Amino acid sequence: MQSFDHDAPTEPLPAPPMAASNMKIQKNRMSSPSGGTPLAHSEATLPYRRSHPSAASLYASTFSPPGSRSQSPIARPGSRIASGSVFGANSNNALALVEGAGDVPGDPLNLVLRAFVPHIAVYSSDDTEVLLKDKGFELGLWELLRPFGERVQGKVIVRDSNGSSRTYEDYSVHFVRFGENVENPEPATGGIKTTPQPAHANGTSEKGDAARGASKRGGNLADVEAVVDRHLTYAEESFFGTTADGLSPQQGPGVDTPSPYYALYLRRLLSGLPITPHETFAHPVACIIAISSRCLAPIETLRRLYNESSTGDKRLPNWVDSEYLRYYVLVHDEEQDDITKSMSLFEQMKRNLGLHCHLLRIRGTQSAATDDDSIPLPRSEWMSASEELASIRRSESQEAFEDPTRYIFETDATAIRTFIREMVTQSIIPTMERHVSVWNDQVASRRRGLSGRFLGLTRKWGFGSTTKSSGTALSSGGNYDSLGFYRADTPEAIMRKLADYAFMLRDWKLAYSTYDLLRSDFNNDKAWRYHAATNEMAAISLLIMPQNISSKTRMETLDAMFEAAFYSYITRCTAPYGALRCLAIGLELLRLRGGSSIDDAARWGIRLLESKVMGPVGDALIKERVAVCYASKTGMGSQCWGSRRRKSAMWSILGAETWLTQQKYIQAQRCLNEARNMYSELPAEHGIDSFSHAGAFILGIGTQLNHQLDAADDGTDRSEDDSESEVDEESEELTTRGRRISIAGLPGATTANLEAAPLRSQVSGEGEEIDPGRPKDDFG
Amino acid sequence: MSYYFAIVGTQDNPLFEHEFGSSKQGGDGMSRFSEQARHMNQFIVHSSLDIVEEVQWGTGQMYLKCIDKFFNNYVSCFITGGNIKFLLLHQPTTPVSTASSRSSTSIAANPTSPQTEEAIKSFFIEVYENWVKTIMSPFYRVNMEVSSPTFRQRVAAAGRKYL
Repeated sequence: MQSFDHDAPTEPLPAPPMAASNMKIQKNRMSSPSGGTPLAHSEATLPYRRSHPSAASLYASTFSPPGSRSQSPIARPGSRIASGSVFGANSNNALALVEGAGDVPGDPLNLVLRAFVPHIAVYSSDDTEVLLKDKGFELGLWELLRPFGERVQGKVIVRDSNGSSRTYEDYSVHFVRFGENVENPEPATGGIKTTPQPAHANGTSEKGDAARGASKRGGNLADVEAVVDRHLTYAEESFFGTTADGLSPQQGPGVDTPSPYYALYLRRLLSGLPITPHETFAHPVACIIAISSRCLAPIETLRRLYNESSTGDKRLPNWVDSEYLRYYVLVHDEEQDDITKSMSLFEQMKRNLGLHCHLLRIRGTQSAATDDDSIPLPRSEWMSASEELASIRRSESQEAFEDPTRYIFETDATAIRTFIREMVTQSIIPTMERHVSVWNDQVASRRRGLSGRFLGLTRKWGFGSTTKSSGTALSSGGNYDSLGFYRADTPEAIMRKLADYAFMLRDWKLAYSTYDLLRSDFNNDKAWRYHAATNEMAAISLLIMPQNISSKTRMETLDAMFEAAFYSYITRCTAPYGALRCLAIGLELLRLRGGSSIDDAARWGIRLLESKVMGPVGDALIKERVAVCYASKTGMGSQCWGSRRRKSAMWSILGAETWLTQQKYIQAQRCLNEARNMYSELPAEHGIDSFSHAGAFILGIGTQLNHQLDAADDGTDRSEDDSESEVDEESEELTTRGRRISIAGLPGATTANLEAAPLRSQVSGEGEEIDPGRPKDDFG
Repeated sequence: MSYYFAIVGTQDNPLFEHEFGSSKQGGDGMSRFSEQARHMNQFIVHSSLDIVEEVQWGTGQMYLKCIDKFFNNYVSCFITGGNIKFLLLHQPTTPVSTASSRSSTSIAANPTSPQTEEAIKSFFIEVYENWVKTIMSPFYRVNMEVSSPTFRQRVAAAGRKYL
């Protein structure tokens, strides 16, 4: 067991040298003007990025553990944080779900619960946009509301289909701009849909980015990869070593917090879901129609906006159910307009438009950080990958990059929180509940009954006759339009919507049973994209359901569903995004179940790797994740029979190798350390060292890493290498070269170094966890 | 098909390693592992010990059949009474799906077929006999590496005979 520590050319596990090197780096940056670039081959954009202190806030999501953000505008109940973990020894997550899922923001189950939530479209009048622009929000009301939707304040009570109530404290909704992000289906006759962006040809390539930068659409693997890659590169470049050392003690594979990069990858994968026909999560559940108190003809404007949203050219395609809730909001400017006038207008609105109205009182001026009662508005956690990429890119290209952090008045925040809470609990949830019960009674229960089954077999039941008269339906396809979708009023579309609503209301049982019914229908109609999506969600809702799953069910049902979903996505639809999402979520949920499910989880992970749908970053992250999967399987007895520690270590090594080829040395080092830990925990004496080639391979990775890290250290940190003269020499050689490049190649290097000081102070002021001094304190 | 055969002791230490190729269907008995596979084979075999430790309690047999799979590599195991594991990693040269009809019945193309299982069993049993004879040497202690050229020859012969 000791052999690792003695022979290894890299730093021994307890990592004091790393911490030491850290300090040196910082010292370098502060003092010596030539000691700049940590990595010789870093991008040319480096000085720019370093010179903008505020750019750090763009990367805050991976830099500090997201859980410790103190700037969240939403007051978190303190008790939740302590009791929030869904993980634990029990394989049954029923309890945690009843209480509201874990509060750990990176926790995968939590991610799933927060990704598939009701989407609320925002459609506001021009005068409202002007008002919000004055307030500093270029993108209008949507931009202001969005961060607050990510956690609805207080408890949200949802009644399920059996009439029993459940309380959730972590309910969230997503705000989207009306009519954006619509993905039209291709005709069914074409069959195969070409991917917008092949997943392999992305990486860090800058080509074609300009074209994609404008679109706000989610579901693009290339963008997801690129965003995570930026975060990784940023970590490598600027806070070299700090991230890895500061976080890794809490991040052993046995601990259930995923690496921030993996959490980010999943979140970006699941955010910005496009409006597609085959799933209705992104279809608006409600639409906020907003006017402001500056509006001259308020009621007429509201009418016009309503008409535009339902019949005008802005209306959504006919596979989106247009019967969603309209919620009317009057935005009142506290500083310029008369409240009595707004109140009377609001009364008029209520009279004319019903009860789904709200008067939102906000101050019309921009808040600055120096104001007494201002609080920072956090960036949205659920912005889509392309959006984040665009903002990162903007920050790099602009000389005078302004701080993206916005400030709003405390009173405004309170008003918005109250507004969202009222809207969600009093309008949106009841409407969804009503829809669910109506659709369940009228459409789904017919199919569930005995006669329904027969009817379902013959596909001749009267309900679909109205749509058949449209003349476009294929005789074999039933309601499946030749255009490649089901219209919103067909029973299949309604049932899919029912199931999705039930899923969003966390009524897993109803969701699962409905998805299960639909699976065969879509299969019969050869609606492959629908088939894949339904299988995916059926598997996910079955896995989230708090009951235990026998291994037989797992084999027969779950595997079949994942297989069908994966096969349909990959082979029949060429939709790598769907395949990746399906298996990534499946892997996480299976892993949470523990026991032999973990083997399944790893198997799907390997399957995902085999399919090669991901780019290099995703590839490495999934390898890392498979290692974590295996590590979370606990064995029995003192020998840990049945654990998967050797497998976990092997996957960590594979992950380290993959990171190394991408020059992500911090990640590689972390993986390698994890593998070493794993091997040294084995009951066997020598880990894998007695296998000559494998041992040499690990040593090789370690040596290579050491060289790179030493090169980054700029040759000043040599104390731990004194025993090995050869390594020492080489590192010196490398580092001098690196220094030369850093001076010659980067004209801004000197100034960048000088400007690194404010970056330090700013960040360390923001949160303790990235305080540069901390690693030193930890390791003594 | 290429084979990597390893005998692993009680401390996860390799006692004997041998690489060979298929001799059936006109094979030349040479292994076709890539250079990268050299260390991967060892990782795979080592990691499948996890599975061995789990599977060995579920059966009374010494031959545990094919216990693990890593992409296109299959691992079969035979465990002796002294907790010494014989691990055979077999890697079909062509993916199973693209094999032609004639070669699809061969051992090499079907790593999990009953015929392959039988062939590997015969191989293991013959190696086991030789193994027992070898470690009966009075100078042999547990977990010592076996470097006897005779033993290596006999393993190679068994490989030629059955695989």
